[in-house]
Amino acid sequence: MMIREPPAFFHRGPSPLARVTFFTLAAIAIMIADHRFHALETVRLSLSVLAHPVQQLAALPGEAVGRVADYFTSQERLLRENQELRAKILDQAAAAQEARLLRSEEEHLLGMTSGKSRYADKGIVAEVLYTARNPFTRKIVVDKGLTSSVQPGMPVIDGTGVVGQVTNVGTFTSEITLVTEKDQSVPVIAVRNGLRAIAVGSGKDGSIDIPFMPVSADVQNGDVFVTSGIDGVYPPGLVVAEVTSVQKDAARVFAKISAKPAAGVDYYRYVMLLPFAPAAAPPPESKADDVPRKSAKERARARRQP
Amino acid sequence: MRPADLTPLARDVMKGPASAGLIFFSLAVAYLLQVLPWSGTWLLVRPDFVLLVLIFWALHEPRAIGQGVAFALGLLMDVSDSMLLGQHAFAYVIAAYGVQIFRVRILAFPLPEQTLHVLGITVAACAVMLMLNLLLGADFPGLAYFVSPAATALLWGPANWLLYLPAVRRPRGGAAP
Repeated sequence: MMIREPPAFFHRGPSPLARVTFFTLAAIAIMIADHRFHALETVRLSLSVLAHPVQQLAALPGEAVGRVADYFTSQERLLRENQELRAKILDQAAAAQEARLLRSEEEHLLGMTSGKSRYADKGIVAEVLYTARNPFTRKIVVDKGLTSSVQPGMPVIDGTGVVGQVTNVGTFTSEITLVTEKDQSVPVIAVRNGLRAIAVGSGKDGSIDIPFMPVSADVQNGDVFVTSGIDGVYPPGLVVAEVTSVQKDAARVFAKISAKPAAGVDYYRYVMLLPFAPAAAPPPESKADDVPRKSAKERARARRQP
Repeated sequence: MRPADLTPLARDVMKGPASAGLIFFSLAVAYLLQVLPWSGTWLLVRPDFVLLVLIFWALHEPRAIGQGVAFALGLLMDVSDSMLLGQHAFAYVIAAYGVQIFRVRILAFPLPEQTLHVLGITVAACAVMLMLNLLLGADFPGLAYFVSPAATALLWGPANWLLYLPAVRRPRGGAAP
């Protein structure tokens, strides 16, 4: 027979069962506090400061390999890349000048109504450190944090489109939830016909869904959706997704529309964190103080509820 | 009598206690391996090094490493893996509890059978984490999710060898021939 209880004179503290009960209850309490009330941000912040040097150390081998690979990049490749980039600059110069013109026009027009520009001024460029090591979510970690005045909720873009939104800010790093994360929503508008919609990450295979579009909605393959800017979080006009498949089943209320993200959501190295777009018009509800802080996700959830 | 002649259980009873420095150092190295920039498929098959070393020390140094240390390490892993705080802590505490319950039984077996026991513990820890995530509304990440605990268990042999080296090499007062 197995002796489970040690004799009383060997003092060993509480039994394993008592301990496991205590610790699991503590873990559940912590989870609830973190999930429901976001009460442990300071704990998280201080632990992340502790873990920061080790994480930097762990990133070293990868960086070293990258540096060596950079060093041995052939000159032809660099020259070719240079040429391509120059061509691209020329290509975009026209659009940029047009944008400047449009912006000055907009300033003129809005100047009469004492509003501010809808376009973001200056962003924070950040380098992607690593993908968050968590198979359940789609997040990346970048090298700018509280010390660079990053705020939770800031939209993040790369050279081609919207990457996601800052969801967690540490001292030196911050977490960005990608647009492909499950239930991460962005209010969008179709470029071709101005159809308003919400782009919601599917959480699977890096695609984006456009839910709640009636079967009769005019959406085609290849339609490009850009941010509409009506949420006060994302500035308008940033490319979010391109439609890849439209399934219209008469038996269903809504069409099933999938799109692929425009930004290289999984393979960029530098991203830009944009400040909040100043709201062009005051929001209709009286809860004006918390509106610009709300994430697009909460906003979409609120919209879905009747 | 050479250490190899002893059963694992007797060897474990006869060896001296591991130094606190060794325990700390091994856990630090395991954490370092854990936070390497794993991504994509590699992330799914990444062995849980910290859990492995934790199981080893909970097995061989039950007085130094127990559920309290498991809980603290779990919180650290939650922060560095940017998960909901408390998930890893829950799973690691369950794993440490499993080791404490089956400690004498596990030590009575040679390495291959020990690996099977460790596999049970790691799968249980992973299942706990999976369940918590499913409760929170995550999608099932596929059966590939269970490759990671299997990889962790497969590393039990090498980890045993590595972590035993300092203990075996150290001259023990009286016990060594």
